[in-house]
Amino acid sequence: MRRIVQSLFLLLFLFLFIQTESKGNDELGYPVRLFLDFDPLILISTLLSAHAAAKAFTLSIITIIITVLFGRVFCGWACPLGTLNNMVGSIRKKAAAHRGRDWYRIKYTILIAMLASALFTLQPVGIMDPLSLLIRSFSIGVYPTFNYGIRSAFDTLYASNPLGAAALSEPIFTFLKKTVLSFEQSFYNQNILIGTIFFIILGLNLVEKRFWCKYLCPLGALLGLLSRFSLLRRSVSEDCTECGACGTVCPGNAAPDQKGKWKDTECLYCWNCDDICPQNAVSFDFSGKKATAAMDLGRRRVITSALSGIAVVPFLRITPLTRANSKNPGLIRPPGSLEEREFLKRCVKCGECMKVCTTNGLQPTLLEAGAEGIWSPLLVPRIGYCEYRCTLCGQVCPTGAIKKLTLEEKAKVKIGLAMIDKGRCLPWAHATPCIMCEEVCPTPKKAIWFEKVQVRDRAGRLLTLQQPRVDLELCIGCGICETKCPVLGRPAIYVSSVGESRSKENQLLL
Amino acid sequence: MDRRRFIKLAALTGAGLSLPDGLNALAEAAETAARPDLVVAHGASPEKIVMAALDAMGGIRKFISRGDIVVIKPNIGWDRTPEQAANTNPEVVAAVVKLCFEAGAKKVKVFDRPVNDPRRCYVQSGIASAAKALGADVDYMDERKFKDMAINGQALKSWPLYSDIFEADKVISIPIAKHHGLAKLTLSMKNWMGVMGGSRRQIHQKLDESLVDLSLKIKPTLTILDAVRILTANGPQGGSLADVKKLDTVIVGFDPVAIDSYGATLFGMKGSDLGYVTIGYKLGLGQMDLTKMKIKKIQV
Repeated sequence: MRRIVQSLFLLLFLFLFIQTESKGNDELGYPVRLFLDFDPLILISTLLSAHAAAKAFTLSIITIIITVLFGRVFCGWACPLGTLNNMVGSIRKKAAAHRGRDWYRIKYTILIAMLASALFTLQPVGIMDPLSLLIRSFSIGVYPTFNYGIRSAFDTLYASNPLGAAALSEPIFTFLKKTVLSFEQSFYNQNILIGTIFFIILGLNLVEKRFWCKYLCPLGALLGLLSRFSLLRRSVSEDCTECGACGTVCPGNAAPDQKGKWKDTECLYCWNCDDICPQNAVSFDFSGKKATAAMDLGRRRVITSALSGIAVVPFLRITPLTRANSKNPGLIRPPGSLEEREFLKRCVKCGECMKVCTTNGLQPTLLEAGAEGIWSPLLVPRIGYCEYRCTLCGQVCPTGAIKKLTLEEKAKVKIGLAMIDKGRCLPWAHATPCIMCEEVCPTPKKAIWFEKVQVRDRAGRLLTLQQPRVDLELCIGCGICETKCPVLGRPAIYVSSVGESRSKENQLLL
Repeated sequence: MDRRRFIKLAALTGAGLSLPDGLNALAEAAETAARPDLVVAHGASPEKIVMAALDAMGGIRKFISRGDIVVIKPNIGWDRTPEQAANTNPEVVAAVVKLCFEAGAKKVKVFDRPVNDPRRCYVQSGIASAAKALGADVDYMDERKFKDMAINGQALKSWPLYSDIFEADKVISIPIAKHHGLAKLTLSMKNWMGVMGGSRRQIHQKLDESLVDLSLKIKPTLTILDAVRILTANGPQGGSLADVKKLDTVIVGFDPVAIDSYGATLFGMKGSDLGYVTIGYKLGLGQMDLTKMKIKKIQV
């Protein structure tokens, strides 16, 4: 029963994940960020850091209510990362030799440190929030890898066609392209780092089943704290012979085999102990009396983690990037992004925007936005530009770090400005005609205009050329000119964040 | 009457004299000879002007046979809506798809290699839904089908071109008439940029020559220049309705130079103003002198 529910949630997660892709319409048509909307950890941390939360997060109150009623059922029954941990853990047949480590407090210290720093305007939960982490890992690491593998396999069959296998493989490929594959192969910076972290998390299940859920997960910790108040409780009747069978099957290290010391905060409400009990002595009901271990994190530990969480805020911000005149001009944020300070207070680095970006231009940062902004979205125009009439990144952003824009609003938002490198541009430097940047410039009155000039080539022939200029008033910094510029390597026209409408300071023109 | 047509007519006359049922063929050939070089149809309904123009050319069955695999190549280059006149009018495309199926085509493929995101271009242009509704295959271009082909032209020696174009029984090109920053206008010859793979942006360095090279390589069965709406400035993608002019016209023909030469007049230009028309004429690709063409104008 639990496995079926878990599978359904995982499938729903994967379905919504795959639907996080343009179909050519202005809207996606599916509530693709639904899982994030139900995440109370993001709700609380965003409330602390930005004193505001996106409306959709009211849904996460449902998660809170369910946890207060039934305990950490989210972890045991719904969390897609929990389910994946379960699946990988099942490879390890051998039960833990010892009854698990006594490390469960780690996740609470992580939670406390994160929320303490959130109170002081940092937004670090996205790094470890299991849903942000999972979507990010899938978007940047797992799904592109999956696509690349499948595509290469079918391309090889198609090209070499052994024994006429392509006749069979091509219809399958077409089917996969229509269902589970992405529209195009996407490529991301940080793919190795983000993917490796994810595979390590999965691999930890081989050290101990659900290692992540037991010891590290800050959302698990939050729900654990809430489940202190849970009405659904586990009780053990007098029939218990203390055989210890339940202790071996508990995925949460909740010590079900120790009478009176059952840790309600660690229980995932999987009911394994109920199922396995030879005496049928275990039951879960609403009438049960409190027979739980006291939750003791240790005062020093709580204070230390809170203080380190607070101290990390100034520590991360002593970077020149926070000074007005040393902003990173390469940090081009998606259209609708809030002013950088406010943006970082909200962005949870879930990677939804990068997954949905039609041109693959949105990439995760490493240190471009400081350590604080790691894995937040950055437009890299040489990889992909911002499609003029596309507003999908703002639609999928769960926290409102990227505002949802209408098409009319989008057309007015500048994410930067383009400038021409006269030393590389074909008509400027090489007496060769080219109009690529002007042709693709999407503003209704083109921001790129030409000056007709007469130049002489090496042989002294007079040529009439059109040399491109950028109208800084009209340019919105979408970067299509940079993407399509035929000058390979360093482009002859490039965009920087200078002039972005979200910033008061990062301006060039009067 | 050009040489090719004369030989054809002479051969068919011979056949007509020697065979009893050759009389039909004779009549047919005579009809072909009487066919106008260009048909310019004007009227409020895009579907009706397409039908009328093709009727004036002898009817769709003259060009499409039962069982044919037909490729229709519109311009779907930009993420723009039909009113913005950056892509071929979806009603014009739909009318042609419909006629092809009526003539017994087995399969009708519609595709282009867009500049903007292909999904948005196919959907926002209205072409994907209009053509699919009539049973056409509207697929995104498959990277694997671009095959390096010899062109041996002035500017292009070889280039990866889309193999479907060459494997189809019939090809119908349906470009839209628009302003363009370098070519001045984009008409029928520039439509073939949409079947180029690789780094096609490089051809802007010798654009006029390249367009002629492509047109010498790719010979469509029929070309229908969509001028239902034309884009007069900020082309080829426009965006402002102020730059769009509604002409309610389509121009049907076979000779790309003739079509583009006529197309120039829609913008108050002459064929000789366009580099690729002049070069195409010089290389014998077609006729640019409008006075030497039989142009049939019809009002629907």
